[in-house]
Amino acid sequence: MASLEFLVIIALLGGVLAYLVGKLSKVVGASLTVLVSGFIFVSVAYFGLNGSLDASITYLPFVSFEATDLYLGTSFGILVTFIFFMVSFFNPYFVDKFKYPSLYSMFYLFSLAGVLGVFFTDDFLVLFFFFELVVWTSLFLIPLGKSKKAASWYYGFSAFGSFSLLFAIFVMRNTAGSFNINDGLSMVGGSDQILVFILLMVAAFAKLGAFPLHIWLPKVLGNSPDPVTSVFSGGLEKLGAFVAVMGLVKLAPVGPVIEAIDMALGQYLIAILGALTIVFGTLMAIRQDDAKKLIAYSSMSNGGYILVALTLLNDTSVSGALYHVLIHALASTAAFLAIGAVNRQTGTTKMSELGGMIHKMPVTYIVYLIAIISMAGIPPMGGFVSKWLIFQSVINEGMILIAIATFFGSIGSFLYVFRPLAALFLGQELPEFRKVIKEAPFFMLLPMIILSGLNIFTGVHPSVILQYINNVLAELGVTELGITTWTLSGNNGDLYPALIAVVFGVGVVIAFIIFIVLKKSRKVDLMDTYTAGNFVYTEELLHYSVDFYAPIERLYEKHINIMKDFYKGIAKKVQEFGSFVKYFFFTNKPEITVLWVVIVLGILLLWGDLL
Amino acid sequence: MIISILMGISVAFFGFVLQTSIAGVNRKIIGRVQKRYGPKWYQEFLDIFKLLSKRSVTHGWIFDFGVIMALGGIIATAMFMPITNDLMAFPGFDNFFIFVYLIAVGMLGMAMSASGSGNPLASIGVMRALTTMLAYEIPFMIIVLTIIKLTGHSSLSEIAMFQQTAVAGLEFSGTWFMIALPVGFAVAFLSLMGMLGKKPFETYIAPAEIASGPMVEYGGKQLGMLFIMHEITVFIEVSLFVHLFLGGAENIWIFLIKYFLVYTSVNLISNVNGRFKIDQVVVFFYKWPLLFAVMQAFVAIYLGWVI
Repeated sequence: MASLEFLVIIALLGGVLAYLVGKLSKVVGASLTVLVSGFIFVSVAYFGLNGSLDASITYLPFVSFEATDLYLGTSFGILVTFIFFMVSFFNPYFVDKFKYPSLYSMFYLFSLAGVLGVFFTDDFLVLFFFFELVVWTSLFLIPLGKSKKAASWYYGFSAFGSFSLLFAIFVMRNTAGSFNINDGLSMVGGSDQILVFILLMVAAFAKLGAFPLHIWLPKVLGNSPDPVTSVFSGGLEKLGAFVAVMGLVKLAPVGPVIEAIDMALGQYLIAILGALTIVFGTLMAIRQDDAKKLIAYSSMSNGGYILVALTLLNDTSVSGALYHVLIHALASTAAFLAIGAVNRQTGTTKMSELGGMIHKMPVTYIVYLIAIISMAGIPPMGGFVSKWLIFQSVINEGMILIAIATFFGSIGSFLYVFRPLAALFLGQELPEFRKVIKEAPFFMLLPMIILSGLNIFTGVHPSVILQYINNVLAELGVTELGITTWTLSGNNGDLYPALIAVVFGVGVVIAFIIFIVLKKSRKVDLMDTYTAGNFVYTEELLHYSVDFYAPIERLYEKHINIMKDFYKGIAKKVQEFGSFVKYFFFTNKPEITVLWVVIVLGILLLWGDLL
Repeated sequence: MIISILMGISVAFFGFVLQTSIAGVNRKIIGRVQKRYGPKWYQEFLDIFKLLSKRSVTHGWIFDFGVIMALGGIIATAMFMPITNDLMAFPGFDNFFIFVYLIAVGMLGMAMSASGSGNPLASIGVMRALTTMLAYEIPFMIIVLTIIKLTGHSSLSEIAMFQQTAVAGLEFSGTWFMIALPVGFAVAFLSLMGMLGKKPFETYIAPAEIASGPMVEYGGKQLGMLFIMHEITVFIEVSLFVHLFLGGAENIWIFLIKYFLVYTSVNLISNVNGRFKIDQVVVFFYKWPLLFAVMQAFVAIYLGWVI
């Protein structure tokens, strides 16, 4: 038995300890985060899977944890603590670069404590408290990177989401009479329900970085320190998915049912916003130059898939959504860590400045390759299984417009994930990096290799995990997905993931045999290429990495700032309103004062007669 | 299991032999269209075997590894392909999505290898190939969505059987989707031309402009393997089309006839066309084909107007 309270206290105390130790030695303080998050992950995973997590409370005031049916919370909890654990291996290597290294370690563990609280509590107010703990601690992690402005964007959108969540909680408290989560979500009805639905969706969208509340996501993910980026993409963003499950699945569907596609209006609108998220994320990812920002936009687009799938409410879609949460967490964390490793060795993540890293960092390259295969939804990696489940449900519902977006996002992901592969790792080996670069140290490679292993495992043998997700589906009241040991059954066909992997292996073996029996090739230099008769002696000139997709970017580049301009417009309007208020109420101009005196006297004179 | 895998390998080999011969025959047909005599029908085989026997150069391990991954991925995809109603390696698992996504492993391998060669022309070719893919896949997928929705199956052989015999109580069964969804068929045919890289969508090969694009650095066995890969890819894409729109095949002769007709008509049409620029390709596919695809899907799914 492991007490959840005990784990939260460990995370908090560990944070304080990491701070104190970090004052003495930065690296030891950061290493403490590995130990603490590892301990918490192992306890949550071991006891959570055995169903023996203890929810009793003795020390923490006000806090309460869920005692029964923990599957949803536990699955999210295991996933996010795992991501925290994996990323924490990077902390000792990056902590030197930060301005406040010991604070970094402390906040890292504090946000872990917050995550535990959010996923395991049964009380809305406690959930809100821990939600805010995550927001506030991560708020101080972001500015340790490149830009302080990113933190203010993050705070703005997070605050908007948090306040909506708080408002929703109060509305539900009004109906249910208590802050209990399940009571609140099941008892609320009528116009209150619509309000709660909208508010919860705002909170989920703000946290998940979905359209139209997506502006903060690329800024934060692009500018935070590399470990923080990974944690955000793989872990903290998933808080949004958790809230989305609450609003879309646990809450009864909202609005009149559309007959043609058998879906409630509220869900359909969310599906459309999810589809827009996919398209927007894809189009923006295609045109990024910074590899981190590119993967950040891909995170946004994958968030859209999760939203679309959650709205459909059948066995394939909900299990697809939950599986996609897992797959995307594993794949994007691995991709961010690989790019982080490159960043540590070279000092930049700009694709136009890098090239040919594969020759010095082959392991990092393989990790990135496996991650993007999964992210693009190509078998034999996990992404294929989750996308297959989502496509099954979209097709079965016959939603043409949503399908366009999902297909577009899926093919578009081939485009953008290939970009860093080609520009960072492949192509000419640039001379300024040739001498100095080495492969990343072993303890940075370790988490990346583990994540790659899981990326493959989730694609070859998904039944184990989908079996567990079936428990979650039962808890949510959705029909369970049909699974045998090796096959999955969708709405219009079966899938045998392991068979695909085996057949792929057979294909590669045949190709390898053909390759190996033929005459051996002569190794030539990378500069020894066909240049149509021109003599080119500099590597940069032969490395095509700037404006890679220029022809397709040209088609939409005029329209990329629509949402940013919209928010800038809102900000301007607020500012104008502020100066208006300031002019009329907080002024030292005599004529305004006289005006107010006249108005007040006028009202007093007319009081009782006309008014 | 072993038998099935051997069967799959023979399907892939059959596909290679079939497509290479038909490509040779087509070179002859095109020759006649252009008032030339044309090469022998087995010229393609000669080319490939000559390349495989030559000593070549390599640009590093990723250059070779990508080629192996490309050919391996494509062979794996072809192994799932049904040829007739009963002639297939893995009955029940010939899911449409496997073909669309497993083929991408091969494409990714080739793209990786091409970029690994360090030649900018190769990277430009890869960029164009991916952009073209983004253009033609969406209308095609919408039409396939319509078919899957109407038949209730995503397995290729099931879809083919659905078109072959009219079953009482099963709506729309018994007609080829070429006839049942005429607009969709036209769109899918355009997409097929994009998939096969035929003019006017052969922008990513563009021999006179970017020196054969992704293929620019290859020679010897690597190029030979990529030729084999290309032939099997064409086999997969054309058979996919035959099963989806032309009602599959009851026996192998019908399959051969349908296959030959589809591939030859694509080739004939492509030979009287010029070449689009890459942004024109995208705009082209997102204008009429996508609109017609959505229209066809809407009419067929929601209104049930199927011929």
